[in-house]
Amino acid sequence: MSVAATPVAPERPLPIPTRESQPFWDGLREGRFMLQHCSACGKVRHYPRPVCPHCFSMDSDFREAPTGGAIHSWTVCHHPFNFFFKAAAPYIVALVDMDAGVRVNAPLRGTDEADLKIGKRVRLGFEPVNKEVTLPFFVSA
Amino acid sequence: MVHPLRDKAAISGVGETAYTRGTPKSALALQLEASLAAIADAGLSPRDIDGVVPYFPGGGIAEDFIANLGLPDLKLSLFVPMGGATFVAAIQSAAMAVASGVCNHVLLAVGRTGYSGARVSTRLQQFPQFALAAEFEAPIGMFAPAQLYAQGARRHMELYGTTPRHFAEVAVTMRRHAILNGNVAMNKPLTVEEHHASRMIADPFRLFDCSLESDGGAAVIVSRADRARDLRKPLVTIMGVAEGHPESPASIAQRPDLLEFGLARAAPRAYDMAGVGPQDIDVAEIYDCFTFTVINQLELLGFCKKGEGGPFVMDGRIGLGGDLPLNTHGGLLSQGHVVGLNHVIELTRQLRREAGRAQVAEAEVGLVTGYGDMGDGSIAILRRAA
Repeated sequence: MSVAATPVAPERPLPIPTRESQPFWDGLREGRFMLQHCSACGKVRHYPRPVCPHCFSMDSDFREAPTGGAIHSWTVCHHPFNFFFKAAAPYIVALVDMDAGVRVNAPLRGTDEADLKIGKRVRLGFEPVNKEVTLPFFVSA
Repeated sequence: MVHPLRDKAAISGVGETAYTRGTPKSALALQLEASLAAIADAGLSPRDIDGVVPYFPGGGIAEDFIANLGLPDLKLSLFVPMGGATFVAAIQSAAMAVASGVCNHVLLAVGRTGYSGARVSTRLQQFPQFALAAEFEAPIGMFAPAQLYAQGARRHMELYGTTPRHFAEVAVTMRRHAILNGNVAMNKPLTVEEHHASRMIADPFRLFDCSLESDGGAAVIVSRADRARDLRKPLVTIMGVAEGHPESPASIAQRPDLLEFGLARAAPRAYDMAGVGPQDIDVAEIYDCFTFTVINQLELLGFCKKGEGGPFVMDGRIGLGGDLPLNTHGGLLSQGHVVGLNHVIELTRQLRREAGRAQVAEAEVGLVTGYGDMGDGSIAILRRAA
């Protein structure tokens, strides 16, 4: 029996959390921006990793952080290197200096390309993509 | 004090395949074809090779070289997993191996089916160095180097007023040089207007700001300088060489300064070892994965001040006949993408005075860089021996 080929939707690339990064992704799912802090010296670090590069302590805890920030740079993605993003292109990805002291790279929604500039204030939002995964995005603050 | 590694190793042989867009050959076959060409160029037998540094991941491993070239006694097998910085960094590893007496002739080789095989985003999934990008950036629509490096280029434009016209000058100059070479994947002239009209990939990078996806192989032999002196070709020694690794090496996003990477640390070390400075460089082969990457590296190499890389490339300065002829083979932008081993080959040919129509008159000292894996850097300074 021959069956007509069913078009398969391109698969969305999703994060595969590590033991270190799981609390960050759990936080996003709960709508909270959770960042890893060193339990010994208190410094924040991102992306999550086992050792504090400042004091070498291996003890850390995740604390909720403020969601505001300022644009450090950006790109506008036109060519979809992954076919999943073809429908969304062109889309802006903003690299943001978070007030919490780390950077986050995420799509910036609802802003015109002409209004982009270094220092522009934005706020982090949370977008559930399935039951397990929520991804960050930015909107103008 | 003279650095103990200065001039102790030499580039004794160089070889490459045709650079094409389309091939029936495997990456391994291309890698071995280029290796045999480099061995013949040096006047050596495959039996003389006692160290190998294959590109990784992709292509052959030491076992393939032993099996195919019948190497009787391989003494050193190394990977230097630094993406585009791999081979210039591998010159340092190989120079240490031959200067210490562990090896006599170390073969560096790459074979790539970047056009006819898996494309860049797919290929990078194999790299452990891209694991952070895969977890944190691929899901939000950023993964390809063009996208990840675009934010640094944009920041440079915003802070220093660098423009697409500066980018175009790099692209157009590389193409002009490629056409003189002949063995190139892109042999049609390119104008500034065509650059500006090419489709946007990841703003500010247009198609002609991006290096090629091409097929080809390249190989270089690093030999003990005293052995190389007796070989076929004029002696080209390694005066200075260094690798450097940036802060936040696997994530550009978290790097304090997007425009400072491994080369900022490597360049002063290489100049020190060589006992020369930017003013002594007759010809430079700069890793050109993107047009902007060249501009950025010219600053880190000390050819101009931070922020002045854009204006620096204008007015013919980087073309043949200019103050700093650059990528005289056409580079990754127009010759072919063999992760920069073609840059080492071209510099060697320039110093041997074998560069044909692209020959820089009286080239005595030249510089080659590597750049890769989110900002690892490497640099080698070579000279034509007296």
